[in-house]
Amino acid sequence: MESTGAKFDVTKLDLWYGQTQALNQVSMKIEANSITALIGPSGCGKSTFLRVLDRMNDLIDGVRVEGTVLYDGADIFGSADVIDLRKRIGMVFQKPNPFPMSVFDNVAYGPRVHGLHARTAAEKRHLSELVEKSLVNAALFDEVKDRLHKSALGLSGGQQQRLCIARVLAVEPDVLLMDEPTSALDPISTAKIEALLDELKVRYTIVIVTHNMQQAGRVSDSTGFFLHGELVEYAPTKEIFFNPRDKRTENYISGRFG
Amino acid sequence: MQTRVHFIEELSRLNHDVLAMGTRVEESLRKALEALKTQNVDLAKEVKAGDELINALQIKIEDQAAVLIATQQPVARDLRELVTVFKVTDNLERAGDHAVHLAKAAIKLAGEPPFRQVDRLVRMAEIECGMVRGAVDAYLNQDAEAARRVAAEDDAVDVEHKLVVREVLELMRERPDQVERAARLLTTSGFLERLGDHMTNICEAVVFMVEGRHVELND
Repeated sequence: MESTGAKFDVTKLDLWYGQTQALNQVSMKIEANSITALIGPSGCGKSTFLRVLDRMNDLIDGVRVEGTVLYDGADIFGSADVIDLRKRIGMVFQKPNPFPMSVFDNVAYGPRVHGLHARTAAEKRHLSELVEKSLVNAALFDEVKDRLHKSALGLSGGQQQRLCIARVLAVEPDVLLMDEPTSALDPISTAKIEALLDELKVRYTIVIVTHNMQQAGRVSDSTGFFLHGELVEYAPTKEIFFNPRDKRTENYISGRFG
Repeated sequence: MQTRVHFIEELSRLNHDVLAMGTRVEESLRKALEALKTQNVDLAKEVKAGDELINALQIKIEDQAAVLIATQQPVARDLRELVTVFKVTDNLERAGDHAVHLAKAAIKLAGEPPFRQVDRLVRMAEIECGMVRGAVDAYLNQDAEAARRVAAEDDAVDVEHKLVVREVLELMRERPDQVERAARLLTTSGFLERLGDHMTNICEAVVFMVEGRHVELND
């Protein structure tokens, strides 16, 4: 991988949960405006790695990290403001988790938290436009435009997940981290999210953890295979799925792990 | 725990049919060369009849491979193996056609004093019987080195072909009355030369399947 243009440059990353080492000397450059898939069996460290990128692991007691993670060239463990970091790096989780409020308020939640108020008519219009734009970009607007002020809990699972993506987009991030974003969705909703990812990568850098090999093959530009906390192989997706270099990658993606 | 048992079983059933197809092609070629050598028209007719079975096997194997791709979503070497199956069957089918061409030549050339160049055709077909078996074995055993060795045998076929061309042209000049029959030797030699190329294609596909890179084995 080229070193130039890397959104993240991770070098020799180790991570321990107490005595247990979850990541072992992981080095990985993640290109801007691309989709990077992280694959591997349960417990291999891929979700832990994802959570390093926006420092979500800080919330867990007993986590110790060594190595460097550069985001746009700056060390995320240095003087960076965590709140600001998480504003620029949005996360979408496995299970859609809309707040128990209206569709509109779900999307407006982030901007409001970050200080966008709607006191004047101009501010209200700005917020409305931001919500609409986010819903459009999450490919959801047409389906919810007539029920923006009804509860988000009434949406289907696939719509809820796109709402969660819209909620992340509303704070105008730079990076989208996704932890198995379609594993709870039916194939049609999954196809919609995958089509959406392809559109979003023009503006965002996307890192997606997935257990679905075909999904990694379909959507990503690069794929990293994790095993026992190590990054075994990291290469363009077409190479990983057609001609992997490492036997362990081959066995995993072919479903030959006993 | 053994995983993907169903896929592995289906793949082995598929490869069993590839072996059957290869065996049929080798058998056709051997019969055709015997027919040519011994001027046995009945044997030559068997080759023509047997070609239908080869074509049917091709369709059966390719349908099975397509179903496996659709239902099992193979990747990496599994996928390369299934992509290779199509190349193997395609080239075997063409080889079967060339065996038929040889059989037809045997029928046409029978009943008259043989040209000595027929020995060269027989020699080419003999080498190729070994190439058909070797290429199919290399595929089944996923053996790239064996594939390279088989492809190397094509050189001897090409040498024979060139000699046939040279000798037949001389013959045509010396015996204008025999031009029609001599021309048949030329075209038949051309078919056999191509049959060798088809086996080389299979060998190249086997190297690709095993090593994941495209190679040229017949330059």
